[in-house]
Amino acid sequence: MAVVLPAVVEELLSEMAAAVQESARSTGSRSLKFLFGSSATQALDLVDRQSITLISSPSGRHVYQVLGSSGKTYTCLASCHYCSCPAFAFSVLRKSDSILCKHLLAVYLSQVMRTCQQLSVSDKQLTDILLMEKKQEA
Amino acid sequence: MAEALRRVLTRDSAAWSGEENTPAVGPPLLLLGAPGSGKTALLFAAALEAAGEGQGPVLFLTRRPLQSLPRGTGTTLDPMRLQKIRFQYPPSTRELFRLLCSAHEAPGPAPSLLLLDGLEEYLAEDPEPQEAAYLIALLLDTAAHFSHRLGPGRDCGLMVALQTQEEADSGDVLHLTLLQRYFPAQCWLQPDAPGPGEHGLRACLDPGGLGPRTEWWVTFRSDGEMMIAPWPTQAGDPSSGKGSSSGGQP
Repeated sequence: MAVVLPAVVEELLSEMAAAVQESARSTGSRSLKFLFGSSATQALDLVDRQSITLISSPSGRHVYQVLGSSGKTYTCLASCHYCSCPAFAFSVLRKSDSILCKHLLAVYLSQVMRTCQQLSVSDKQLTDILLMEKKQEA
Repeated sequence: MAEALRRVLTRDSAAWSGEENTPAVGPPLLLLGAPGSGKTALLFAAALEAAGEGQGPVLFLTRRPLQSLPRGTGTTLDPMRLQKIRFQYPPSTRELFRLLCSAHEAPGPAPSLLLLDGLEEYLAEDPEPQEAAYLIALLLDTAAHFSHRLGPGRDCGLMVALQTQEEADSGDVLHLTLLQRYFPAQCWLQPDAPGPGEHGLRACLDPGGLGPRTEWWVTFRSDGEMMIAPWPTQAGDPSSGKGSSSGGQP
């Protein structure tokens, strides 16, 4: 990831990676819950339910989409820490208290645990997917 | 691209060590200042700097074509460097979005530096914070994609200039908070001079955790040449930040 995550999040993610390798997932998720509260449980749920899709094109550019619990799909840019969900806009950008929304947390977890759906699209289709976020119709 | 700017700033000074031949690109950098504070000039200087290293083209995005070369280019303009700067002029926020979203479709070598001048004009069109966040995030994502295309060990830097006003309204403040979240490195420009009767600009560069804040004095000679020197620190000057780790924003 090119973005500079807070050091504590980086450390936690590498602990998760280690824990996953030892199949000791419960230890990792306790720390997650401590740090992220209810977002952590929901994020782990999203991972379990295979709700995260990595969409990539031949150019190598990629984007994540997460199927939220409400049935809506949200777009996440992992390279720089962005999610199209309202929770991200509100708590992360305005109030600046949450470090991550549950969708971004789910994306980072799925990267660490190497489990997510994969979808290949053409370069043109990826452009359209990225552009679609410009004006999200409710 | 904090590193390119730092190299521009240290170019003329004795602090230039010359051993930093292939430094890391550094985090995305935000250049801030009021109208006329020299942002375009510094952005252009960074573009020329990055175009000279044999590292690949530079992509310079701005709303309107530059009517004339910015201050500071002077007599040292190297046509070979200028040729490696690709200018594009997205006339609206929508066009800028389109350009960034389709950046991976563009043929040719990936740039080693992506610059955007006048971000405030694009943000003003769409005051919705979520849209603003997406635009900023796309800038970073585009630079990240270029880094990927450049291959292992090479990165594409990102440098964005934003005009600030004396009286900031709440929309501006929100944008600024947003930008400071995404841009770890910042450089503030303001007209200032170290002594009475002198002119120029004061540049405060905060490389975002990679080092201490440093301050520089930028002036323009009558022939247009840009002169840069470390901001003279005087004993008892409370704003002398060289070497100290006090992190207050100006």
